[in-house]
Amino acid sequence: MKDRLAAALKASRADYTEIRLERTWSSAVTFRGRRLETATVSEDQGGFVRVLNHGCGWGIASFTSLDALAAMVARANELSRAVRLDKPIRLADTVPQVADAALDLDGDVRGISLAEKKRLIEAYNGAMLAVSDAVVDTQAIYRDEVSEVWYVNSEGTALAQLRPEVTVSGTAIARRNGTIEKGLESIGLRKGWHSVHGLEERFRVVARRAVDLLDAPRVQGGSYPVILDNELAGVFIHEAFGHLSEADFVYENPQAREMMTLGRRFGKPVLNVGDNGAASGLRGTLPFDDEGTPTQDTPLIKEGVLVGRLHSRETAATLGERPTGNARAISFRHPPIVRMTNTYIAPGPGGSFQDLIKDVKLGVYACGAFGGQTMLENFSFTAAWGHMIRDGHVAELVKDVVLAGNLFQTLDRIDHIARDFTWNQMGGGCGKGGQFPLPVTEGAPHVRIEAALVGGDV
Amino acid sequence: MIDRLLDAAKYADALWRREERTAVAFESGRLKTAGVTEEAGVNLRVVAGGRVGVAGTTAAAPDLEELVARARASAELGERLDLAFPPQSPLPDVPTFFDRAADASLQQLIEMGRHLVERLAREGCQVNVAIEREVGETAVGNTAGARGGYAATGVSVTAGLIRIAADDVLMIYDEYLGADLPSGDDLEALVRSIEARLEPALTIVSPPEGALPVVFTPAGLAAIILPLEQALSGKTVLQGSSPLAERIGQQAFDARLSITDDPLARGGPASRPLDDEGVPSAPVTLVEHGVVRGFVYDLETAARAAARSTGHGRRGVFGKPQIRYTNLMVGGASGGVGAQHAAPLLGGGLISDMTDGLIVDDLIGVGQGNVIGGGFSHPVGLAYRVQRGEITGRVKDAAVAGNVYDLLKQIAGFGTDARWLGSRWSPSLRLDGVSVARR
Repeated sequence: MKDRLAAALKASRADYTEIRLERTWSSAVTFRGRRLETATVSEDQGGFVRVLNHGCGWGIASFTSLDALAAMVARANELSRAVRLDKPIRLADTVPQVADAALDLDGDVRGISLAEKKRLIEAYNGAMLAVSDAVVDTQAIYRDEVSEVWYVNSEGTALAQLRPEVTVSGTAIARRNGTIEKGLESIGLRKGWHSVHGLEERFRVVARRAVDLLDAPRVQGGSYPVILDNELAGVFIHEAFGHLSEADFVYENPQAREMMTLGRRFGKPVLNVGDNGAASGLRGTLPFDDEGTPTQDTPLIKEGVLVGRLHSRETAATLGERPTGNARAISFRHPPIVRMTNTYIAPGPGGSFQDLIKDVKLGVYACGAFGGQTMLENFSFTAAWGHMIRDGHVAELVKDVVLAGNLFQTLDRIDHIARDFTWNQMGGGCGKGGQFPLPVTEGAPHVRIEAALVGGDV
Repeated sequence: MIDRLLDAAKYADALWRREERTAVAFESGRLKTAGVTEEAGVNLRVVAGGRVGVAGTTAAAPDLEELVARARASAELGERLDLAFPPQSPLPDVPTFFDRAADASLQQLIEMGRHLVERLAREGCQVNVAIEREVGETAVGNTAGARGGYAATGVSVTAGLIRIAADDVLMIYDEYLGADLPSGDDLEALVRSIEARLEPALTIVSPPEGALPVVFTPAGLAAIILPLEQALSGKTVLQGSSPLAERIGQQAFDARLSITDDPLARGGPASRPLDDEGVPSAPVTLVEHGVVRGFVYDLETAARAAARSTGHGRRGVFGKPQIRYTNLMVGGASGGVGAQHAAPLLGGGLISDMTDGLIVDDLIGVGQGNVIGGGFSHPVGLAYRVQRGEITGRVKDAAVAGNVYDLLKQIAGFGTDARWLGSRWSPSLRLDGVSVARR
């Protein structure tokens, strides 16, 4: 494969050429209720070429027929030359990398039969169904994947990477007298078969919660001190802040750049945020991004002040900053764009969850995430469940906890961050520019927002 | 290839599809990228031992025996289902391939983009434009003898403005999606639709509060239509979670509301003569004069529900066919005549008698939460306040909430602004008594 790539590079007449080839084996088993819906094994493969010529734009080509590689390199070159630019596109310098980087497959999923995978997810599905008669429907999905990715560019980078992924997820639907509630569990890891065993209890817990929510009152809407659990705090920092720190949002837009000026205060000194694509063993972890840049730990907010952002080589050159290894593509069907990897709120200097709630007279403990969406400075997050906090103690279960707010105000209102940091490795992934799902991880401790709007009974 | 594959598989159906896309992207008003995508693949479904299995591949010259073996292995674990493949039957005549779109040169696409960038450029705004043209070929067949296929073109044009002033971010996007190239009128309508929403957005006003009249624009209607799309899917009905399952023949909505799925809409973005399981296309009436008339099905869901497929199976290269709507026509209006969207009067002519209320064009978080029940509660992404029949400005910190099934029992008005948005055709709808909250 490497020889074919080298030959194609050599034949390219463009100033800069990069080629990515992928082969992906995947399997999936889906249960809906007691019924097995699908059990499939798939094989996908294809290539991606991107070229640049001086004074011209990007020419790109993606294809499933690997025999077309040479023709596609020529085609991308033609396309690049059709795009005339006054201001040339520059790429920040990086040191060419040559490596074979095989991530730990942790029990190669390709060696496990589909029947064994079915038994595993059937057990998790059964665990949810067995919780109560009120659990009327479930969905349980096992999914795995191993990708071989080859990347070369005309500056001398040549990489072979092996990327595993495995996900088990479940939805439990509980119903009683017209009231319907759900519980979600999702575990996604950049690992293999060995890592997804012994998880029955986690599936039981979400099914039980769906049943408990049937009797829970809706939260009374209003402004409260809100404590986010680790999972929701992670989703919040990814959605509400992370996307703004992606440099492709600002690099061509002077007003956006002003809004995101390095040195601007975003929060109280307790707030530290970063993105770490090099963290060990996480779902968003990769040794190199899809431009061949090594990944790294990039501080974004330090003691409340904006100190960094996430870059591709192009955005880094435009802003005169350094590439951070955040140019990622979900597959050969797409170009690399600026994406997060493992985004986190760093643990606070001290304090436990109890310390965060002890002086809260009336507040909301918002837990888990059903979803979240941001439209730049405005966001909306739906917690999976919540509890009221009364006189410093966690009180009754409540449902329909939706947090809505303005990013800048909300970040500034984070006044306490606990020590109890965890990474939340979920399945699914992040979507941007038509590329979904990109494997990412979020991490955070418990976080307190001194006042946030909680929707519910509006 | 389909024939050879079916010969090898005994009882099966298969889809082969090839697509070539050409795309140009303008970032901040500058053309920066031109690209092509070529993709081909085959999806095979077999019934073996009464069980259903599926396999797919993107390999250029796939090993057909290996593919069949993989599908059979999938069937060993698969569900038992008495799946009948449709026999050969005549296909309706619907244009899906437009020479103008297929023959458009890269330069033509670039010129179209440049024109839009020039028309949309204004001080303090970033203009982004993306144009994509697709040419595809589809072949479907099964061992019951059905064969079908068609060539199709598709064009999407997305244009948007981002305006950032201090910490206020305003984004206004619109799109054209069709089987043919947009006409000059279509592009002009796109520009004017963005302009019509930009001008009044420059003033920010405080939101109202209470149970108020709200006009949902064709774009803003997404939150209202989504629960209905889920409830009218045969899969949801079969699963027992559709609130409309028991309501066939009953008046569930305002008597003026009709919803049809029409795969034969002329020039429609999702038009085709047959679905991906070989079932000939035909319009399906889902809601007629407010009465629930039917649901959409694919073959497997229909087999399990003892219903007939309505020809709504959609399959990719990997995985099983899924139910998918084609051109969803809301409001009973007919589409495809002249400009893809008429010159948009923001509010669709529904605000002149409104004392205080909102026009909602975009909501944040649509699809989160308990969609199937019909309840929604979303902060506004893009919304305008209406006072004494006039748009007075954009509101930011507001949320709207309600239940779709309650609100659609009585619709205060259908707008005169029916248009395509993606593959949905609808006018604005005015719903009264929507809960509007300030924050």
